[in-house]
Amino acid sequence: MSHSAYGIPITWFLTLGAMLFCIGLFGMMVRRSAIGMLLSVELMLNAANINFIAFGSYLKLPTIAGQIFAIFVITLAAAEAAVGLAIVINIYRLEQHVDVDKMTAMKL
Amino acid sequence: MILFGFEITGYQIAFLALAGVTLGSALMVVLMPNILRAALFLGLTLFGTAGLYVLMNAPFLAAVQVMIYVGAITTMIILAIFLSSRVMSVGFSQAIYNPVLAFGAAGVMFLFLFVTIANSIWVKRIAAEGPTNSNVGVHAVAAALLQPYVFPFELASLVLLAVLVGAIVIAKEDQPGEP
Repeated sequence: MSHSAYGIPITWFLTLGAMLFCIGLFGMMVRRSAIGMLLSVELMLNAANINFIAFGSYLKLPTIAGQIFAIFVITLAAAEAAVGLAIVINIYRLEQHVDVDKMTAMKL
Repeated sequence: MILFGFEITGYQIAFLALAGVTLGSALMVVLMPNILRAALFLGLTLFGTAGLYVLMNAPFLAAVQVMIYVGAITTMIILAIFLSSRVMSVGFSQAIYNPVLAFGAAGVMFLFLFVTIANSIWVKRIAAEGPTNSNVGVHAVAAALLQPYVFPFELASLVLLAVLVGAIVIAKEDQPGEP
């Protein structure tokens, strides 16, 4: 096995991404406040980004696609956070809480 | 460098340190009862991820991560927390529901992912020891964004404009007499 200066196999990064994703999944199931769930979604999006960039920089053919995908993911995460937090603030104004189990404004 | 009988490179030490920071603060994000502290730990997680991007030869992405995620999204979440709950009131801290069940489900998911990673065949197309793509600087990103990816790039700006308008409309207080 040839020894480069890095010595980090890609599986390390992929395993880290999987761990981060599962922590986000855990948070998604455990939290009941809308903001806590948004935090978990950000964790999961980051895990996906780690995978994109890892594949982009470890592939033997030269490609930039991994980083470009990560840029679009970050852009859409910002958009999602903006709309999500606007909805949270609006719901808080209507119902004085952000508990997703008690949100009933759209029920018949 | 020899450490505990294993040969270990400086990059590996950096990876392990950054991974420890990232995973530890990510656990804090999901377990902290105080949502404000959870949001601050999210900032630390994103910072650790930025360090990992540097380790993967993506310094531009690391800068973007720090500016957009740590700088903007975390700040926005903290502002939303302040706007939507009275500090230190009962609604501010929140209980953890069904932790055992959730841990089981997340653990099964992780096992599945780990087995997939360990047994995959694409490893042959991948450099074994470290990032090989060296042509990944800011110039390459700019050239790719404005040549092959220009259509999604422009579409993203359209999405951001729509989101800007939509967020203002949703968060705006309803005036009486307005639809």
